[in-house]
Amino acid sequence: MADEQKSGLDAVDEGPIGSDAREATQRTFSGDPSEHPTIAALLERFGDEVQGHRVAAGDQWVAWLAPTRSHEILDWLKNDPDHAYDMMSDVTGIDYGAGRPVEVVYQMFSTAHSRALRLRCPVPLDAMEIDSVCDLWKSADWLEREVFDLFGVTFKGHPDLRRILMPDDYAEGHPLRKDFPLRGRFSRAEQTRRALEQDVERFYLADDLQAGAPQEMDASAVGAIADGETEATPAQSREDD
Amino acid sequence: MGLSDKLPRGGAAPTEGGMFGAGSPTFLTSKVDALINWGRLNSLWPMPFGTACCAIEMMASAASNYDLARFGMERMSFSPRQADVLICAGRVPYKLAPVLRRIWDQMPQPKWSISMGACASSGGVFDVYSMVQGIDTIIPVDVYIPGCPPRPEGLIYGLMMIQEKIRQESLSKHFEHRAEDPLLVARPRANAAEVVGLTGPFGNSTQQEQISTGQLVAPATTDDSLT
Amino acid sequence: MATKTVEFNIGQSREMGVGGSGAPSPLAPFDIPEPKLGTEQMLINIGPQHPATHGVLRLVCELDGETVTSVVPHIGYLHSSFEKLGEYRTWNQIVPLTDRMDYLAPLIYNCAYVMSVEKLMGIEVTERCKIVRVILMELDRIFGHLLWLGTTAIDVGAFTPFLYSFQQREKIYTLHEALTGARITTSATRVGGMMADLPEGWLDQLLEFLDNFPKTLEEVHHLLTGNQIHIGRTQGVGVISAEDAINYGFTGPNLRATGVPYDVRKDRPYYDYETYEFQVPVGEHGDCYDRYLCRMEEMEQSVSIIRQAMARLPDGPINVDDPNISLPSKTDAMSDMESMIHHFKLITDGIPAPEGDCYMAIEASKGELGMYVVAEEGDTKPVRWRVRPPSFVNLSVIPKLAEGHMVSDLIMINASLDIVLGEIDR
Repeated sequence: MADEQKSGLDAVDEGPIGSDAREATQRTFSGDPSEHPTIAALLERFGDEVQGHRVAAGDQWVAWLAPTRSHEILDWLKNDPDHAYDMMSDVTGIDYGAGRPVEVVYQMFSTAHSRALRLRCPVPLDAMEIDSVCDLWKSADWLEREVFDLFGVTFKGHPDLRRILMPDDYAEGHPLRKDFPLRGRFSRAEQTRRALEQDVERFYLADDLQAGAPQEMDASAVGAIADGETEATPAQSREDD
Repeated sequence: MGLSDKLPRGGAAPTEGGMFGAGSPTFLTSKVDALINWGRLNSLWPMPFGTACCAIEMMASAASNYDLARFGMERMSFSPRQADVLICAGRVPYKLAPVLRRIWDQMPQPKWSISMGACASSGGVFDVYSMVQGIDTIIPVDVYIPGCPPRPEGLIYGLMMIQEKIRQESLSKHFEHRAEDPLLVARPRANAAEVVGLTGPFGNSTQQEQISTGQLVAPATTDDSLT
Repeated sequence: MATKTVEFNIGQSREMGVGGSGAPSPLAPFDIPEPKLGTEQMLINIGPQHPATHGVLRLVCELDGETVTSVVPHIGYLHSSFEKLGEYRTWNQIVPLTDRMDYLAPLIYNCAYVMSVEKLMGIEVTERCKIVRVILMELDRIFGHLLWLGTTAIDVGAFTPFLYSFQQREKIYTLHEALTGARITTSATRVGGMMADLPEGWLDQLLEFLDNFPKTLEEVHHLLTGNQIHIGRTQGVGVISAEDAINYGFTGPNLRATGVPYDVRKDRPYYDYETYEFQVPVGEHGDCYDRYLCRMEEMEQSVSIIRQAMARLPDGPINVDDPNISLPSKTDAMSDMESMIHHFKLITDGIPAPEGDCYMAIEASKGELGMYVVAEEGDTKPVRWRVRPPSFVNLSVIPKLAEGHMVSDLIMINASLDIVLGEIDR
């Protein structure tokens, strides 16, 4: 089939097959810190903060950091010319459930050194907060809001920390946590009722933003979730139509 | 010649040529219902409430290959006040539900609605915390179009079914057809029991529901992975 | 494209009557104070249901006259919780979710997702599969850019490019349909290969498309590139500098329009992209017009990449030869006992993954698309499946881009970012 196609493709530029480049991408790592300059420097400079490191999926370097000094370390990673991670590709969270800490994950890339790094900061469940890196990378703004919305991690120093995907008054909790049921905590009737009670004209403006102010939530609903009430319970009491 | 010879020569001057030639009548008799319905069904102005994948198919049906204009619907009315038929194309999360309801309430009578695609009709694969399980819990729906997404032919067929529905309406039953409880404005169409009945999990989502609420231990989350 | 600027200065017209000497004019002996126009801040809400927001985006703008002083985007009106749903589905069951995320270029998402899972599991796909995926991804880059082209042209008042681009899109719809049976929701990939090999005659159809498509592109160039209205609406609108663009997380054509030649296909190559010959178009001003030019040029480069890939497409199997990963053929499953067992195990249990995480970044039509999967040892479902949506981050820049522009420019800026809400809200 391929040969038949070639006959019709006189104008095709087949392009060179570079063997060197191909080998470079398939380079495998043993996991020794000396193979990744940033990991080596991190261990040397912030040895106490680095809880571990390894190579994931063949060529991706991951380091676990304690959340206490994360901002300082990330600041250094961005501004040190030897590392210069100028691109914060992604900020997200992982919840393993079963009482394990929620991890905040940073995917960084340095355009100057063409080097990628992933940092994972385990945040204990009883103190779900970490410093915001919004002042270093503007791209972290919405990404951190999303982590706050879906995981409930508070980012200290974030200029506008409020829900981004779910409605502002969403009362069922943080959906991507493992203890959150797939169909939500309330019954469908209650969810529909609450949805239609939303004020569609509600908005907020740039002036409303208060630095570091935590987003307000329906106090009764927070209590209900904290008490471990699940699904249907609030719904049954409020089904009126 | 032909028809004009057979027609009686009436008051019309022979020089005024009618539709069927000189001397033919310049009027038609019809029922008011038929005339009004004919007018309505051939100039439906859709209000495209497009959210996701189905909206792209809706655009494809408005483009040259499918050409919705053949049916008098090329005038997409982005303002609900001038629209006749609401096409809800795509998934509707709870955050968007009040917007959908308000747009429906803003449309003047007579109005019809189409639920395009699996997600709008039933929630589709998204049996999750954020999605409305079928817009018929929010607004009344006249035609459901299955598919994920439906092909443009499907949308056009759905619109033609709306046309068929209009063709059979009668002004004598206007108040019956067009009745809408003013108390229901900005409220869900279905009551609580109905919503629960309409949105119960089925098929694969029953299993998902059991896993998510802990009634069934998923094969993936064995004890090893949890500790 | 030199644009001539004409300055009207109403305040000086009084002096101009006497030769512009600056001396008090005898015609106007009194010093008339300039009229002060009282303006007050006005609020305009655009969306969530608005034809120019390309979906269900909501923009709340504060206006001073017609000038935008601040924009606050509100998103989440299409939050379908893909990531949560993915945690309840086996690796292969997630594929149909991916193409509902970016419905403008579904095959890129299909491919990116399975690439990340394959990388996590250490599966090396066959050479034919790699090249087929390259063809499909480049085809959908054209597919995505074409929709952007049509809808953006509508936003500046040109309806014809919409019809032109949809005519070409229909050809790609046909190709999708021949390959997968669906026009948009393709779900064409599987872990370790594809749903099916290319059907017979598909490459001929593709070749026909490639021959005709550049002509349409040429026509659109005639319609828009030198069009004074289009230039007036796009040049100098929504400008961002290269440093800011990187800091704000711009990727894809939006970043390249500022002059940064960052392309994941070149900087972090996958699927042997380094062996294809193609240019990464970059702009210089970082305005809407440069973004437009970058995308137009990218489509041409994609055509060239597809031609190169077609020329090197080898024969051979498309799925990996491992019964624990690829489904056996239907005939085998019905006649051979062992294949039947593998089929059963794969469908009921799924593919076990090793412990670890994997972030796979590829160049989607809108920017850097990252698929991040996390698994525990032996998991047949992800612990976490995360999509790094390019247009989510691109959209977050809109308050900066739109500030100080007119409302009508805000529409153009929003269009030029090429957003898709299905992926932003997920």
